[in-house]
Amino acid sequence: MDPITLGFSALIILVALIAVRIPIGYAMILVGGVGVAFLNGPALLFNQLKTLAYGQFSIYDLSVVPMFILMGALASKAGLSTALFRCANAWMGQMRGGTAMAAIAACAGFGAVCGSSLATASTMGRVALPELKRYGYSGALATGTLAAGGVLGILIPPSVVLIIYAIIVEANIVTMFAAALLPGLLAVLLFILTIAIYVWIRPEAGPRGDGIDAREFREATLGVIPVVLIFGIVLGGIYGGFYNPTPAASIGVALVWLYGALRGRIKLPELIDSIKETAGTTGMIYLILLGAELMKIFMSRAGLPQATAEWIIQSGYAPMTVMVLLLIALILLGCLMDSLSMILLVIPFFWPVLIDLNGGIYQGAEGAGFGMSTEDLKVWFGILALIVVELGLITPPVGMNVFVISALAKDTPMIETFKGVMPFFGAEIVRVVVLLAFPGFVLWLPRLLAG
Amino acid sequence: MTDIANKSRTGWTGAAVWLITLWALLGGALLLSVVLMNVASILGAIVGNAVPGDFELTEIGVAVAVFAFLPYTQVTDANVTADIFTSGAGPRMVAFLKLLGALIALGFALLLLWRMYAGMGDQRDYGYTTTILQLPVWLAFIPILISLALLALAAVVSLRDHTDILRGKA
Amino acid sequence: QEYTFRLHHLLGARAPAQTEMLEPWARQVEENSGGQVKIEIFPAMTLGGRPPELVQQARDGVVDLIWTVNGYTPGLFPRTEVMELPTVFKNDPKAANLALFDMFESDLKDDYKGLEVMFLHVHAGQAIQMVDKEVRTPADLAGTKLRIPTRTGAWVIEALGASPIGMPVPELPPALQKKVVDGALIPFEIIPPLAIQDQTQYQIELFDEERLGTTTFQVSMNGDRWAGLPDDIKKAFKDASGRDWWGHVGEVWRGTDDFGIKLATDAGNTHIILTEEETQAFRDAMAPVVDHWVADVSGSGIDGAALVEKARKLVADNASSK
Ligand code: NA
Ligand code: NA
Repeated sequence: MDPITLGFSALIILVALIAVRIPIGYAMILVGGVGVAFLNGPALLFNQLKTLAYGQFSIYDLSVVPMFILMGALASKAGLSTALFRCANAWMGQMRGGTAMAAIAACAGFGAVCGSSLATASTMGRVALPELKRYGYSGALATGTLAAGGVLGILIPPSVVLIIYAIIVEANIVTMFAAALLPGLLAVLLFILTIAIYVWIRPEAGPRGDGIDAREFREATLGVIPVVLIFGIVLGGIYGGFYNPTPAASIGVALVWLYGALRGRIKLPELIDSIKETAGTTGMIYLILLGAELMKIFMSRAGLPQATAEWIIQSGYAPMTVMVLLLIALILLGCLMDSLSMILLVIPFFWPVLIDLNGGIYQGAEGAGFGMSTEDLKVWFGILALIVVELGLITPPVGMNVFVISALAKDTPMIETFKGVMPFFGAEIVRVVVLLAFPGFVLWLPRLLAG
Repeated sequence: MTDIANKSRTGWTGAAVWLITLWALLGGALLLSVVLMNVASILGAIVGNAVPGDFELTEIGVAVAVFAFLPYTQVTDANVTADIFTSGAGPRMVAFLKLLGALIALGFALLLLWRMYAGMGDQRDYGYTTTILQLPVWLAFIPILISLALLALAAVVSLRDHTDILRGKA
Repeated sequence: QEYTFRLHHLLGARAPAQTEMLEPWARQVEENSGGQVKIEIFPAMTLGGRPPELVQQARDGVVDLIWTVNGYTPGLFPRTEVMELPTVFKNDPKAANLALFDMFESDLKDDYKGLEVMFLHVHAGQAIQMVDKEVRTPADLAGTKLRIPTRTGAWVIEALGASPIGMPVPELPPALQKKVVDGALIPFEIIPPLAIQDQTQYQIELFDEERLGTTTFQVSMNGDRWAGLPDDIKKAFKDASGRDWWGHVGEVWRGTDDFGIKLATDAGNTHIILTEEETQAFRDAMAPVVDHWVADVSGSGIDGAALVEKARKLVADNASSK
């Protein structure tokens, strides 16, 4: 069988398995594993399995993942996620759609310490959904806002997906985090604008909140101070370069734990609950990582990515055309796959293609295919790829964030959530176009920090 | 997570879930130790005395902890599934599909247990060690193999849960 | 094309290791075989796993061929490690590779059970690259934090009174920039891919391009796959991997290293070459590293002292005329 047919058949089987509720991690493990055994014999697969899982689970740069998840779990027990939302709501709640805007702002704040979209969506969903319901928001807007807000967990650095990207292309993680910051804030702005337009067209979907008195306003505002302090120490340390993401996440976990313990909100039962929550989410993410690795091995052996990359180079398309096609392909693939899997599967093969189109690994800005040095291209493409793969979290049929929010909002049909999330999808497309047209948006902050 | 996560259990499935939960909590304690070790290393670095090998201790500690989490992920049904295509299906149909998922998990756990046992032998026989502390890597495989055995047990508990639903017992 | 081989390695497809070494070698094997052999190169771990797993992948036949850093699996190639030692490896990667060739059958082969070695090589050697500290004596390094390259590199750093710090390569630039580490023991060849010139001011090497030890690499085939090949195919591989080729690989790595240091000096960095006297102080300080290594490998029943002596002699015999 030729690589294209084989690769696409496998993708179709994968989607079919996912469609019949086989857990996504196991579906990828099954298709990838059986695929490798089919191509090169079971003995080869069995041998690779001797070390593959340990190798994947012991990647140093991934060690931040369970830590940021634990930090998120502890932060919600310590009342930090509530404090964030309460403060944002005190400032924005009186506007039409204001509580939904506050939920977006709080998601962004939480995203600044949490590296995972799913963790952000589920934490903030728990905090904000009851409030949105209490104020009479439509199910579509309430759940759509939180499913979209959840993606700020990876759009605002730190971000697990960005960490994986940096590992693959050998980029500096801190540079990537810095590059993601302004685009992330742009996403917050566009999401809030989206809500404003949404409630302007459909005023009944997002009623005004009650006015609050000055005392409540002051308390809510002051209540956010510990959050700002803790997040400042963690992020300041990363951007200031005092420590790498793993020690930073460790410090974050320790500080949130200490704060919760001092406030009497984290005692042994809460600590145990947080660990259980971390165990479930971490196990789920790592199984997907292992599945994606097996899928990658199978795809490499089948030759699908190589054939596609070869085809792009032969096609003679202009660099920007290839970039746009690549981003569209990632958006389409994102309908079926999860963001981490896509980065793991696609980037190792397509990054070399972009290097070639740009003029080589040491190409400077002068005469480059994309009009920037290959080092800058690494950063710019990383942010664009981050945005489009993250879109996969909210697009049907497989939209992880939508699933997470649906599980929390049992009374809203999933189809309503998908409808509610579509305006935010539109906002994201606007953002991709802006960043494609103005790479400076991405490159300015890393340059500033590098001096 | 579904209702299965909060189901109260008795008998052998109750004992199994208790054991799996305890094992995950031990993994969590290990993760917290890695966290505190990193904090100690940062504080130590300020006075020029970082924890030697903090890097490799983090790698091993997190890997062992994550394996310890896998059985808990299975038994609490925390693996992400796409429910949209089958949202109209009845509970027995869903139980049947979940039964398939649990079978895959069981097969995966047993296969990996077998293969990583062989992997442990390689690690020991060829003498793989970490770079700075020169810790033998095969030692990390011991708790990991226990985790995989518990993952198989967790899958059996899931199988039992879903067959109960199929038979109309639950 | 009757024989297809998958060659797996850890660097990107555009790294000089692939474009200037692995690709020319693979094309030569293919040519020698009259088109019967095809070698597909899989860069950046695209066949799965992490770099330390490469050796096991080759041993298990998960892939046919690998290129890897021996030091990623510390202690697994104890005999070959002799060439990593400072004062054994000095300044001449070509001579070091030829020495490895000359002692391979007699002294090193036992390291590679289950593997068929195509060729071994070193890089141009560890240099000291410092953020803002000029280093001319071992005392200048006392109390500094340096990123380690290999386990023997960690011993060098300790012998010089500095603290060895482990970290993944991509984290090195920010760590240098913010002085989480004061410097690193790495070859100049790593300057271009990581833009090390932006984070450091001083590139320091000893007299006459002498370095503080090096790193050993291997290109190996799964042993069973090799044993099952007909003689003409074996010949195609061996002819492409002869003594000349091992020497040529040394020149390739010398070239990428020279390119790296040129990039740094063009960027205005200070390239320090120590005097002979200054160099001697470093050699004296590093002498315990060799003893440490000899004691360490004696635990595996290896006569380290004899290996050191033989390696030194062969390196000298093969010295390139400059
Ligand atoms: Na984040
Ligand atoms: Na999707």
